[in-house]
Amino acid sequence: MLRRSAQAAHARIPFYRNVKLLGVIAQVIFVVVLLVGVGLLYWNVTSALQRSRIPSNFSFLSARAGVPISESPIRYSPSDSYARALLVGILNTLRVSLVGVVLASFLGVLVGVMRLSKNWLLRNLSLAYIELLRNIPLAVQLVFWFYAIILPLAPLVSNPVGLPAGGYLSQVGLALPWLYPSYSFARWWPFLGAAVLLCALLVGLRRAYLLRQERLGNIWLWPLIAGAAVALGGLSLAPAPLPAGASVAYLADRGRGTAFIDADGDGTYDRTERAIPYARVQIAIPEAVMQVKSQNLLESRRRLQSTFRFPILKAQEFAEAEVSLEPAAQAEGLRLHFSRFPSSGVIYRDTNSSGDYDRNEELNPEDAGKRGFNSLNVTLRVTDFKRTLTADKSGTFRLPQFEAPASLTAETGANAAAAEASSRTSGPADLFARPAQEETRGSSSPADLFGPSRGGANADTPDDALAAEVTLLRSRPLVISYPTVPLTSYEGGIQLSAPFLALLLGLVFYHATFIAEIVRGGIQAVPKGQREASQALGLGPRQTFNIVIFPQALRIILPPVLNIHLNLIKNSSLALLITYLDFFAIGRIVGNQTGATVPVVVIIIGGYLLVSLIFSTVLNFVNARFALVER
Amino acid sequence: MIAARPAPSEKLTHSAWLRRNLFYSPVSALFSLALLAAVLYVLWQLLAWIFFAANWQQLWNNLKLFAVYRYPADLLARPLLAAGLLTFLLGASSSVRLPRQSSEALPARNPIARGVFIQVMALLLVLSILGLGFWQNVRFGWLGVFLSGLLGWWLGRYVPWIRRSLPLLWLLVLTVSLLILHGIKGAGADSFWRLVPTRDWGGFMLTIILSVVGIVVSIPLGVALALGRRSKLPAIKYVCIAFIELVRGAPLITWLYIASLLLPLLLNIEVDRISALNKALVALTIFTAVYMAENVRGGLAAVSTGQEEAARALGLSPWQSMRLIVLPQALRAVIPGIVGQSISLFKDTSLVLVVGLQDFFQVHNIVSLQPASLQVQGGVRLELSLFLAFIYWFFAFRMSRASRQLEAQLGVGKR
Repeated sequence: MLRRSAQAAHARIPFYRNVKLLGVIAQVIFVVVLLVGVGLLYWNVTSALQRSRIPSNFSFLSARAGVPISESPIRYSPSDSYARALLVGILNTLRVSLVGVVLASFLGVLVGVMRLSKNWLLRNLSLAYIELLRNIPLAVQLVFWFYAIILPLAPLVSNPVGLPAGGYLSQVGLALPWLYPSYSFARWWPFLGAAVLLCALLVGLRRAYLLRQERLGNIWLWPLIAGAAVALGGLSLAPAPLPAGASVAYLADRGRGTAFIDADGDGTYDRTERAIPYARVQIAIPEAVMQVKSQNLLESRRRLQSTFRFPILKAQEFAEAEVSLEPAAQAEGLRLHFSRFPSSGVIYRDTNSSGDYDRNEELNPEDAGKRGFNSLNVTLRVTDFKRTLTADKSGTFRLPQFEAPASLTAETGANAAAAEASSRTSGPADLFARPAQEETRGSSSPADLFGPSRGGANADTPDDALAAEVTLLRSRPLVISYPTVPLTSYEGGIQLSAPFLALLLGLVFYHATFIAEIVRGGIQAVPKGQREASQALGLGPRQTFNIVIFPQALRIILPPVLNIHLNLIKNSSLALLITYLDFFAIGRIVGNQTGATVPVVVIIIGGYLLVSLIFSTVLNFVNARFALVER
Repeated sequence: MIAARPAPSEKLTHSAWLRRNLFYSPVSALFSLALLAAVLYVLWQLLAWIFFAANWQQLWNNLKLFAVYRYPADLLARPLLAAGLLTFLLGASSSVRLPRQSSEALPARNPIARGVFIQVMALLLVLSILGLGFWQNVRFGWLGVFLSGLLGWWLGRYVPWIRRSLPLLWLLVLTVSLLILHGIKGAGADSFWRLVPTRDWGGFMLTIILSVVGIVVSIPLGVALALGRRSKLPAIKYVCIAFIELVRGAPLITWLYIASLLLPLLLNIEVDRISALNKALVALTIFTAVYMAENVRGGLAAVSTGQEEAARALGLSPWQSMRLIVLPQALRAVIPGIVGQSISLFKDTSLVLVVGLQDFFQVHNIVSLQPASLQVQGGVRLELSLFLAFIYWFFAFRMSRASRQLEAQLGVGKR
């Protein structure tokens, strides 16, 4: 009725009062103004680009980057292209933000539930945590963790905190044991395929069974256990024989080597030859020495005097170790005290004759400046050193830089502490990595291996060379890589750098506050009657929470929490402040180096937009899946 | 019939309170004690560190850098004058009575301005005492700022025209303050009003400027974008949606980087013709405006269609009904969101070092790399970052508290 009268009136309305026509005109004007504006800006940009000769296409992507990136989940060297450098950036961003999302969610849910605790102290402690951390800018928190906590307070890498299961924590970051695919990983594929098939089959059967019985039950538990059993069965098969031509080149005096496929059979690693990633290598050194000078170190905001540091050697890695001072110092009554045998300790003089080291005995009483006994030679001598390690993704591995015993002219007497060193039995045999059978390669005798690095002129005599026997081990599809510390950095395992840790800590603690508030609100939004009804049904407090309250709260919680996750990913771009090289930081470096700022900006924006788009798709899906079905 | 009575209020004795909240079972008693011990231990360690081990000398020596960075030392009266004007107006805003007829639900006074004002006055009192005692060049300056705040509070109470023209006064005072800081172009090299280029601005002064200008400009821009997004005209609607989603899709730090690189290109001018301050302001404002727009959109959606239909039925034009009926209700509903966004902006100003500005955060980087700082064993990063965290927290927490108070008084979510 109304519409018809409006249509009838349509004819009589002059065009300047016709709402529809006015709308069209307004849009046309808007679009024209917009186009003119955008065109003007575009013209400005192109003429400015031409004037300043800034490259404006994407051809720079294939050029050699020359950007050193210290940590990368994929193989990368500065000779790779800019495109690969940007890819490393994307992977670094994803790595830190995915770990961050998981940890922040756990912490957020924990704190959110704590906010509703019966315990007054716990409740208010979590409130204080939330109110404190969410009102401090993330930038401040990041520099706090990195520059104020990790860098000054963590110990030096030469004296790391040992973590259970063989991890290390120090100023350069965290290193943990990790699983890697070996050369025989392809043998595992059939088992993985069989496991997935079996799992799918069992799920189908169990679902049909439960439907027929009209029962509720867990569909996933037993199929997953069966699938995991099949996959593990594939891992426990005998290790595969090494690939044809597998060899290892080891430069004993440099303490580094490479596992590779020796295509030309000359026993040396050439650039064209293929490396074996994550190869298991056993190095045996019958006798070796190493010499360092005692020094003062700044560690954990304290100055440590008369300190000596050797690479970290585990007790089961050697038959006997002996650390000794130079004879002149011994004659003066100086002695060694170990904080970690045989790797680190201090030199002291037993001034109070207690027979042991006491505080301040490392300071030289004759020195007015209260300094220690520095620049004294300390010698480590190990026999039957044997280490099994896993090479990295480019097949290289590093050991402490030992020297041959003959290189030391001065022989020193035995130290009391050396008596402590005795070989201990090795730890529990590990399922994945311990070789069933060792396979010694012909090329591993030391004389062959020194060849490539030593020029003819300054070749050492064989007496002076360090004897080492290197063995490439057979391995199962997955190998465990344990971190080791060859003095200045970690080797092996998975290494999380200090900037990575600081970024992770900052992101997790900051965003967990927002998640906690959402979780608290979501739980409180579940009607009180639900709790009362489930208690009336005889459910305990834990059951009430797990199967009645939390699933309903999840419906409210999930969409805003996904938004926080997206924020976390975007905020990981603050990595710039603490020298972690994420997508934005690398993009910025590439832009500054090539001058191709406009294409780089397009790539950066495009990358983040893509992530946002993926998240909003997930969000829409979640919203549709979890929305209350209403009549 | 028995008249309805309020539920009996529980008055717990101290021991009953303890039993209910801390020691309700043997396990909880142990847990509470352990937690209490841990908290006390951490607090003790922290206090011991703050008072005995920490080295605050570098912070104390560089307070001027933290406050205004490289602003000329002989012109410090100008920032103080600007601060005085702003404090005056803040005081006035916090003491005026809001018009009663607008809504019964509105509080008598603006709790956000009030909360911030009380906090700022407390800080100013400390600064006045410190200034009188230690700082030769600004001896009475901070006291003057404090007194101007009190004057504003008193005038806002008793002078009715201040209340009516508050928004206009804010715009005026902001412009005048920026002019005072900037100086007059023609003034001689030794004149008190000589030009101070914006590259010499910095420290907390810059953080405040970025936040305040960003908030003031981004709110109208955000409202415009939100209205555009709700428009029935598809061209306007989709352009606004595309713009909002594009800006929201990438983090602020990338927009700051883009502003520093692309603004000169977009305007086709020399790189140094546009100051870093303007680049940062453009990026911050647009970024905040887009989030404001999303907040306002939520508010617009919350106003029932009947309101607009009623307004149209009364003969108001679409523009009038939007301006007089819909928008006031929508904005009132999203005040907490807008305040939250303002807090975010305040925290986000710490990223302007990307465009080369020396704001409060960046000054801490500069100070911690001074030779005198590096001589301190272990550096002064811990001290400086705790100071930074405290100052940012001080303002952000106060604003969020005030916003929650306002939320409670408005009864948002309860009606």
